[in-house]
Amino acid sequence: MHNDKFISKSEIGIFIFALVLPFIFDFSPYIQGLLIFVMLWVVLGTSWNLLAGYTGQVSFGHAAFFGIGAYAAGVPFFLFKVSPWWGLLFGGITAVILGYLLGIVVFRLRGPYFALGTLAAAEILRIAFGQEEWLTNGHNGILYITTWVSKYPYYFIILAIAAGTILTVKVVMRRREGYYFLSIREDEDAASAIGINASKYKNISMGLSSFWAGMAGAFYFIYMGFIDPETVFALHNISIISILVGIIGGVGTIWGPAIGAIIMVLLQETFRSAFFGFAPQWVSGMHAFVFGLLVIFVILYLPGGVVGDWDLIKKKLHLKRKSEMKK
Amino acid sequence: MKFGKLLIALLSVSFLFSFNGCSKKETGPIKIGVILPLTGSKAKFGTMEKNAYELAKAEINAKGGINGRKIDFAYEDDTGKPDVGRAAAEKLINVDKVPMLAGGYSSSVTFAAAAVAQQYRTPFLVNTGSVDKITQPAAFNLTTKDGDKFYIYRMNPPVSEYASGLETMLSQVIKPKTVFLIHENTTFGTKGAKSFAKTAAKLGIKVLGTEAYSSGTVDFKPILLNAKKVKPDMVYMISYVMDAAMLMKQARELNFQPKLYVGAGAGFTMPAFKENAGKASEGVFSATLWHQTLPIPGAKAFYDNYIKKYGGDGPDYHGAEAYSAAYVVANVLKRCNGNYSKENIKKALDKTDMMTAFGPVKFTSYGEKIHQNKMTTYVVQWQNGALKLVWPKNLANAPIYYPIDYKKIWK
Amino acid sequence: MEMFLQSLISGLLVGGLYAIIGLGMSLIMGVLKIINLAHGQLMMVAMYVSWSAWNYLGIDPYLSVVLSVPFTFYLAKFLSKYLLNPLIEKDSILPENQVLMTVGIGMVLVELARFLFTSDYRSVQTSYTGQAWDLGGVSISIPLLIAFIVSLLLTAGLFYLLMKTDLGRSIRATAQDRLAASLMGVSAEKITVLTYGIGSALIAAAGTFFLPIFYLYPDVGPEFTAKAFVITILGGLGSTVGAITGGIVLALAETFGATYLSSGYRDAYGLVIFLLVLVFLPGGLKSLTKV
Repeated sequence: MHNDKFISKSEIGIFIFALVLPFIFDFSPYIQGLLIFVMLWVVLGTSWNLLAGYTGQVSFGHAAFFGIGAYAAGVPFFLFKVSPWWGLLFGGITAVILGYLLGIVVFRLRGPYFALGTLAAAEILRIAFGQEEWLTNGHNGILYITTWVSKYPYYFIILAIAAGTILTVKVVMRRREGYYFLSIREDEDAASAIGINASKYKNISMGLSSFWAGMAGAFYFIYMGFIDPETVFALHNISIISILVGIIGGVGTIWGPAIGAIIMVLLQETFRSAFFGFAPQWVSGMHAFVFGLLVIFVILYLPGGVVGDWDLIKKKLHLKRKSEMKK
Repeated sequence: MKFGKLLIALLSVSFLFSFNGCSKKETGPIKIGVILPLTGSKAKFGTMEKNAYELAKAEINAKGGINGRKIDFAYEDDTGKPDVGRAAAEKLINVDKVPMLAGGYSSSVTFAAAAVAQQYRTPFLVNTGSVDKITQPAAFNLTTKDGDKFYIYRMNPPVSEYASGLETMLSQVIKPKTVFLIHENTTFGTKGAKSFAKTAAKLGIKVLGTEAYSSGTVDFKPILLNAKKVKPDMVYMISYVMDAAMLMKQARELNFQPKLYVGAGAGFTMPAFKENAGKASEGVFSATLWHQTLPIPGAKAFYDNYIKKYGGDGPDYHGAEAYSAAYVVANVLKRCNGNYSKENIKKALDKTDMMTAFGPVKFTSYGEKIHQNKMTTYVVQWQNGALKLVWPKNLANAPIYYPIDYKKIWK
Repeated sequence: MEMFLQSLISGLLVGGLYAIIGLGMSLIMGVLKIINLAHGQLMMVAMYVSWSAWNYLGIDPYLSVVLSVPFTFYLAKFLSKYLLNPLIEKDSILPENQVLMTVGIGMVLVELARFLFTSDYRSVQTSYTGQAWDLGGVSISIPLLIAFIVSLLLTAGLFYLLMKTDLGRSIRATAQDRLAASLMGVSAEKITVLTYGIGSALIAAAGTFFLPIFYLYPDVGPEFTAKAFVITILGGLGSTVGAITGGIVLALAETFGATYLSSGYRDAYGLVIFLLVLVFLPGGLKSLTKV
């Protein structure tokens, strides 16, 4: 599952590149905003991938952790004017606690039932957070004037969170736990039969996954300055997109979700802005359509995702090049 | 890691976009950003407002534009979501480098976008977002004395004042003793219900109950039953168009006949409401901010020209708000004397005092609000399939149909 | 008492409608073993077919069922033959690939509808929309009653199909054990395609009979997909009787919850029941009744 070297040169290269990126180019705040969104989706996709891609627990309720993390930063601010920055401390932990509690219910379920159970749990949270106005300000949402106008500090914070998420996956997948995760994914009964405490390791996987999703949620509130239940607990916009980011990039690969995040954000923004103003306005409505087509294409032809089937893509491209040369 | 290269390649592509800033020509059109929901569930209203902006733009430019330069609106789709609205505001300010924002439809989206405008010190003329706090500086960590630091201006009345016209009609004509409130569970709905409860207390009307629902509900009968059980004189509803129609249709099926049904604007004035509710729409009152038959110069002309250009059922108050906001923008820019800096535009906004097709516009301070245009609101009623202006009496184009004979109109 | 009766009648009638929505999902989940996340979107497609027939050709929405059901049936067969079935053979890490495929299909269908019909709300107006009987203070909506009767007929029809015909036996055999069924000479591939088609035809019927009661826009589907899950889990996979009881239980829970507790939590009641059933009664009601 891993190279001999824990962190390869090119991985260090990517990190340094991401770190100095804003210094090399003078990006407009708009592009900076897109980079931040890419990183946010790297965190969500990668953390989903740990639970689903590596441990086989395909969650359709990742928004539950993202949302609870966001509200862990938002509720203390709303009730007691506590700085949302504390969310970076509470967000992940609150999500882990939620993950543990949810696990009691949903880890009794398998396959599609697990998917539906997590989906229902996230939906119940969405409705409850909309109703309990005394705690969450309900559908009015919580607003706070963000600390800085400049986006650079936010970029480095979310980059650190993204690096932490990827590093967590790399570390845990090298350890014994990682092998247990994989064996649970391949056959939970067999894993239990050889003495692996499946429920313990599923909880560990859920804990790590929910921690980083919760951190992403807390960051989202700090950065956006506005949350409401419909946004942070969104079934389609958070839970499903987290999955699609993983699928397009490649489930069960370290870098898959990161690539998926880049593709998703670039595609969405290219279309939403009608090819940055070069295409007619009606194109801007097509982004969900094209994204849907891409999902269908990837599942049909690249079931391992762009990263998982990279060799396949290369071969195809290579063959093409060869046949062109023959001509 | 081969795809490391891919990552770098992809990031390098983004490098190209970093040059996508725009160079400004001093003689080209003056571009103002407009944030509206052009896709998603609120797209119908967003599109109506966009059409109204475009109509106004064509008229303004035909009459010489802004001191010789043309005016142009850069539209950004907020899709009805607060986070997208924020991103849209940031893009307009940073990429398109507009000196001023306008638009703002849903309350929550407008508020989120207003926070961005305030942060970047960019004047924002709100024309529809109606939650009270948008023009309350306290919501932005400012006080009412900070007018010079506060960049948000609002042309439409806040939701707490939507019913001011209705208030006088109720106290002078109908005099109901009890009311039941039904509202959708959004910012607009909950705030509207709360402020109407206050109004009711002032008028001595007892609130018998409040029920919230989520938009898209199929079966409103449980809610309506709870209302029917307590026999209110009046039912007050805050709903968008299709929920409004479902509510009235099912109220008719239940034979629930309070003395009057009143809608709080929003969906109840739309032609689609009447179309879907059919006979159940008859006799329903609604608070409204505008009606084409009002004796305001330009109101009827706007209504007719809109239909001429876009066809369909014609605009309601949302269209009038957007159309007039475009004229306010033009008026403000004309008074900038060629210097279109944000500060200069803000100064011109402060001094606004003009007449529009929506009514007089002047930004004043009162209570907790600053930069708020204060205006009267009206009451309309569906009579024989047409929306009639029934209040205030001196402006009405039809008498109030009351008491309501449900046997006759629901047949 | 009047209020109790009205809630009961209201819940029962809406429950009938939920039942057909759940019936299709239950069948698909039972045989294909996938969650069909495009379920509500297929219902939306059928509703647009009916609406177009009414709007452009003046065909009564109830009659347009002869257009919307076959259209959705063949569309679903096509989707399952060319997009879902090939995935069974594909080697992938997660078995949920088919589920995610339905997500992609759903997105594409919604956007196509938006492209063709815009986001505007559509509804049909007929002589019977908004008609209701008054039975001693209890109101019964006529279009809802019709939908309820149709749902009973469809349930009975599906029950007959599954229990008494060869095709039904093959479907049940495939649901129980795909491999064993293939060994017995049942073409599992054909059966899955057909099942997806039948399941979608059922939801198409639901959509068509729903149109005079509700309204239509491209995003109308997902909410009903969610309801279909709840019903399916409640009733048990592949159970016709389970689907109709599940539908009615869900609608009653929603109606009584909204009447006597809080209407803001209406959509949560079903989900809570859903989680409870998932955990404490894994086979759904089917495991109690065995049909």
